[in-house]
Amino acid sequence: MLFHDWLKNDSKIILFDGAMGTEIFKRGIEPGKIPDILNIEKPDIISEIHKSYYDAGSDMCQICTFGSSSLNLKKYKLEDQIEEINKKALENLKKVCSPNCLIVGDIGPSGEFRPPVGNITIEQWQASFANQVKILENGVDLWHIETFSDIEEMKTAIKVVREASKKPIIASMTYKKTPRGYFTIMGDSLEKCIQILEQEKVDVIGANCTIGSNDMIGLIEESVKLTNNPLSAKPNAGQPKIDENGRPYYEYPDKAFAKDILDMINLGAKIVGGCCGTSPETIKEIRKIIDSL
Amino acid sequence: MSQEKFYEEISDAIVNLHEDKAIELANKAIGKNLNILNVIEEGFGAGIRRVGELWDAGEFFLPELMRGAKIMQDCLDLLIPHLQGGIERKTLGKVVIATIEGDIHSIGKTIVATMLRAYGFEVYDLGADVPAEKIIEEAIEKNVDIIGVSALLTTTMLGQKKVVEILKKRGISNKFKVILGGAPVTSKWVEECGADGYAGNAVEAVELAKSLLHI
Repeated sequence: MLFHDWLKNDSKIILFDGAMGTEIFKRGIEPGKIPDILNIEKPDIISEIHKSYYDAGSDMCQICTFGSSSLNLKKYKLEDQIEEINKKALENLKKVCSPNCLIVGDIGPSGEFRPPVGNITIEQWQASFANQVKILENGVDLWHIETFSDIEEMKTAIKVVREASKKPIIASMTYKKTPRGYFTIMGDSLEKCIQILEQEKVDVIGANCTIGSNDMIGLIEESVKLTNNPLSAKPNAGQPKIDENGRPYYEYPDKAFAKDILDMINLGAKIVGGCCGTSPETIKEIRKIIDSL
Repeated sequence: MSQEKFYEEISDAIVNLHEDKAIELANKAIGKNLNILNVIEEGFGAGIRRVGELWDAGEFFLPELMRGAKIMQDCLDLLIPHLQGGIERKTLGKVVIATIEGDIHSIGKTIVATMLRAYGFEVYDLGADVPAEKIIEEAIEKNVDIIGVSALLTTTMLGQKKVVEILKKRGISNKFKVILGGAPVTSKWVEECGADGYAGNAVEAVELAKSLLHI
């Protein structure tokens, strides 16, 4: 399979895509909606964004299903549309996917926490992810389980995907930088997460969101000391600001972001891309750097 | 045992998240007929403040913060009915708090509510996805001092501004202090909205609420 070939090829750096949300708002969509519903309401916009990432040089893009698990959709009273949203999301990406590029199934966290923070049970997590994975399995090339802050929820999602699919898994936790190092808000250290993800035998261990690219360099530096697994990094473009129209924007320059990504590649990152605030322009800058290696 | 030592033991029970121990000490304070107000402030209050400091320092995370605040709340529920001589634990102030309409992220808001309660504020938590108008109606009805509005998404932050605008339009902005929170919120955004303050985390939120009410 292509993805495994890429992983085995030492000279290949895999370029992931950038942000979906910020791109949606640039196109004048009113804030306040879950982006996933736009797969049905504005499929052309979603496809256009995916295409702009492939055109910018992404080797693989993820479908717009970050919030399309049952528990998440339920909060927006959209749980009845889980099948339609996920299927349309696949279609929207499939029709613009370039040859020799891959389609990644995106699984975001449920947004619900275990006690003492929340009241969710592992069984509820399982059921929620299982509904989504079942719909997407026939269509995606690999999985990106991302932006998780509880390693137990990550383990649950991995288990669910494994039960339904033999496709590769990238498992990305989201960390904040503390005076004692990188931790998730649930208190899982980078070391603990990497150890567990190794035990779970995921194909790629990743980190995304929360921190900007400058802090992500340090995280990758720590990670290579802890594992020989391939690593993925999808940092934010700094922190968001709000313009006079109330729309979010990010000031971190694309060239500086791409330079940070180069540092991560030199440290050993195998898959690189962007999270909140990154755009096709960012991906173009990274493409230039990768092609010059 | 000296009183200071007893307070310290209480504070340690909170910081070590020993629920049984904390409850046992609360009952002991009641049995011994100690000054309950002092027990709350110097024992339990000191403990929860240390929990807050550990959170700031990156030693404690969400589970510890929530557990600490829950233990504190359980002990307060036990102690408050025993406040002596009709002295009531004066609430520091009343707060209505909510995550704004369109945003279902409630965890940050819940932490702030829990910490404010633990420190002695009377808190009305309206939950998540609450329209600006509804927040204001509740604020008026409960006669609160502070309105706290949370937004995790850059896309829902506009709702925070709406709260301030409606208050202005209705000519009642001087009745409430409006504080904002959420990952994308900055002091610049607070200024732009015309709100009264911003806090980066739950501990700062408590300090902010206190300073706005000159406590």
